[in-house]
Amino acid sequence: MRRRTFIAGAGTAVAATAGCVGYTGGNEGDGVVTVATYESFVDSEDSIGPWLKENFEADHDAEIEFTVPSSGINQYIRRAQEGADIDADLFVGLNVDELIRIDEELDEPLFDSLAGDLERSDRVLDDLRFDPDGRTIPYDTGYISLVYDEREVEPTTFEDLTDEANRGELITQNAQESDPGLAFLLWTIHEFGADGYLDYWQQLEDNEVRILGSWSDAYNAYTNEAADMVVSYSTDQVYNGDTPRHQVGFLNDQGYAQPEGMARFADAPDADAATDFMEFMLQPEVQGVIAERNVQFPAVDDAELDEEFASLAHVPPEPVTFGYDELAGNLDGWVDEWARQIVE
Amino acid sequence: MARSRRRVDTPFLVAGLATAALLVVMLYYPVGSVLVEAVFADGRLTLAPIRDVLTDSLYFGDLAGVFAGESPADLLRVVLAGEASFGRFGFTAYQAVLSTLLSLAIGLPGAYVLANYDFLGRRTVRSLTLVPFVLPSIMVAAGFAAMFGSNGPLNRALAAVGLPTVELMFTLEIILLAHAFYNAPLVVRVVAAAWEGVDTRMVETARSLGASPRRAFLDVVVPQLAPAVLTSTLLVFIFTFMSFPIVLALGGFQLATVEVFLYDRISRLQLEEAAALAVLEAAITLGLTYAYLHYERAQAATRGVTARSRQRLFARLDLERLAIAGYGVVIAIVFVGPIVSMLLASVLDASGGFTLQYYEFLLDRRDAVVGTQPDVAIRNSLAFAVGTLVLAVPMGVVVALATARDTLTARVVGTFAMLPFAVSGVVVGLGLLQTVVFGVEVFGLQLQVTGAVAIVAAHAVGAYPFVVRTVTPALSSMDDRLVESARALGASRTRALLDIELPLVTPAVAAGAAFAFAISIGEFNSTVVLVEGGDAYTMPVAVQRYLSDRTLGPATAMGSVLLVVTSVSFVVIERLGAYGGIE
Repeated sequence: MRRRTFIAGAGTAVAATAGCVGYTGGNEGDGVVTVATYESFVDSEDSIGPWLKENFEADHDAEIEFTVPSSGINQYIRRAQEGADIDADLFVGLNVDELIRIDEELDEPLFDSLAGDLERSDRVLDDLRFDPDGRTIPYDTGYISLVYDEREVEPTTFEDLTDEANRGELITQNAQESDPGLAFLLWTIHEFGADGYLDYWQQLEDNEVRILGSWSDAYNAYTNEAADMVVSYSTDQVYNGDTPRHQVGFLNDQGYAQPEGMARFADAPDADAATDFMEFMLQPEVQGVIAERNVQFPAVDDAELDEEFASLAHVPPEPVTFGYDELAGNLDGWVDEWARQIVE
Repeated sequence: MARSRRRVDTPFLVAGLATAALLVVMLYYPVGSVLVEAVFADGRLTLAPIRDVLTDSLYFGDLAGVFAGESPADLLRVVLAGEASFGRFGFTAYQAVLSTLLSLAIGLPGAYVLANYDFLGRRTVRSLTLVPFVLPSIMVAAGFAAMFGSNGPLNRALAAVGLPTVELMFTLEIILLAHAFYNAPLVVRVVAAAWEGVDTRMVETARSLGASPRRAFLDVVVPQLAPAVLTSTLLVFIFTFMSFPIVLALGGFQLATVEVFLYDRISRLQLEEAAALAVLEAAITLGLTYAYLHYERAQAATRGVTARSRQRLFARLDLERLAIAGYGVVIAIVFVGPIVSMLLASVLDASGGFTLQYYEFLLDRRDAVVGTQPDVAIRNSLAFAVGTLVLAVPMGVVVALATARDTLTARVVGTFAMLPFAVSGVVVGLGLLQTVVFGVEVFGLQLQVTGAVAIVAAHAVGAYPFVVRTVTPALSSMDDRLVESARALGASRTRALLDIELPLVTPAVAAGAAFAFAISIGEFNSTVVLVEGGDAYTMPVAVQRYLSDRTLGPATAMGSVLLVVTSVSFVVIERLGAYGGIE
């Protein structure tokens, strides 16, 4: 017992020294908030990450450091399972399916509860909240929609997609590996129910739906005019302008909402500064900047949004989505059955 | 006896031990940490995960029933009725066989032309054959979708000359073409190297003894080419069997390979199933490797090293040269077309107009304080590739020497030397993450291995099988008496290697080295894990990072930079090699 303790102690000492030399930061309550996120959050000067860092640090006595783990949240699930250090204070960019995976894989909490910690929490739109345990708070959302060529097609309902006239004209993504692909599959389950979605997909298959891999695979094929409709985001025109080939289509006036959340790691060394940063991200003017730079929609009801952006980024008349409770225990089965039907 | 023991000298021992240590730390231990999930549960040995996969019709179709204990007679009935399906494993093997055949069909004529004809730019063309091998799938997908789309250059050309157009997108055919794009150049490279080594005097002797050109070719040339053709066949089958992103980028989910499901199981952390899939993939590819090695030993033929005389390609016009012109058209469609389309995609905006905005994005990145910078990625890629070459060539030669004899041990070691190709890249990535990146406790010290040195080590481990596979056949076909005489005259084993064996197998070593360089430039799965927050990222990692769920532009620009930088460095390396006396 004593020997084990000694070994663990020596290990920590070496790791801590390595941390100092290499400056990995954010580990010892040193005022450096380590924020784990995804690549496009930080990958250019126009991204939201650098802006948040500069403006937060200007009036807070803390430093923000971003880290982009190659396997996203799985990195931290595996760290927790293997007993390795977490080395981060916040995770920014969490989807509901990832939250469910965390809860399935881990017995000990990876994040702690934010209950009562955030003053601006009650301005967050109720429809976007996806964590019944209050560990995650949404900071923006996307809507999955169709992008289509109005010279060729006019999709307004789910039935239009199975219409003979649109044979071979829809490109979507593999729900196993792509966020928009999964959202589109869930959207069809929302519409046709767990008992009916496979029948609908059979009709889509009969009508030669094209299921490619990632968003970029699908959009790439669409760009090369391999088909006239593609599953994508309702912010498409922010990048491509309001042109005939870039019309945003909401089926049955719906769009599937995909809120992104942030959460604080349990035992975060800089918990207070991390909480301040989350509070900062929910401020009205910051929410407007997040929406524009991240090309998503605000999560609060009083965001200050640029008018030109608002005119190109479309909000569906009737946003739909599944919450945590509806997905937990069902999600893997739905996706697996879908995959089996497609390949067999 | 005593003498041979004395002659295992220190440099050999050091190189062998270093190679073994590197393989343990960067391959066997990390990969083992993942694959153990397939055979261990709750501290007990189990075969449940593997059995679950074997008996799942998703993976094995009608074979699953047989694995579950049903009568093979039922299977036979279904097969005879022509209604059998063999699941994802069946489809994966099927498309790999077709891809390999297509790669051979496109690659072998190329090897013939390069080895037997001289033309302006022959050496440059040979240098550039490795370029497709390193291209990220997003680039190839962009190029293929543009080139072979309904309104692409191919169909417009067909329509212009009054031929029917072809719809290739979303078909098995376009996947096979993309696999040939990646792998036919490998066939060209490996077989051309062997063809250049064919002893022309033997052909002349056969002809002077009355053999027809066809007879001389079949009896003299074919046996000398067979090992190279089979080596490349094996490699292409393995690579296309493990194919992943390109299948879904061009074909679609209906054509998903095993690797597509393996990737999904890893990302959903269903590690038992993932490990079982990886074990079965490796069992199939390593099984083939073992069978091949058995054949390779039976085949070893003595090879000459006389300089080859080549005919001038543009000397006159005859039937053969006409066929070569036709072959040139195929190359233009399958290789030049997609590559030009890739470059075009980086300068066209969403509405098809000319733009340099994506390159401006790359230039602007250099002043940015955060994120990924293109010039750092270029520098890292080139430095790591040189480092990989320096490390992988001795590793490969050491293993080749250790396995050049025809014994059971040599075949087993030779088979396991192929492990880096036989194990899924995503499994290697996860393995490295949860061992050397998270940290391993050794004697109370928390050891972590990330950054540049770790990346070079991982690349060398991923690349050295190429050196083994190109060098071993050359070594085993060498006349043993040469080395024996040198050693009888007092040369140490190392001296004999440096003075006798290596100079004789230089073309094979050079081919292996070129592939090692290429593997390093193109490697993604391990690199992205080992970079982990540092600034040791490479060009393929930068391409992936510039690819968001919103716009393709910056990624295609970075991919084009990768293409150009790699092409230039391949040409430069060949030129340097030529100065150094390596043809």
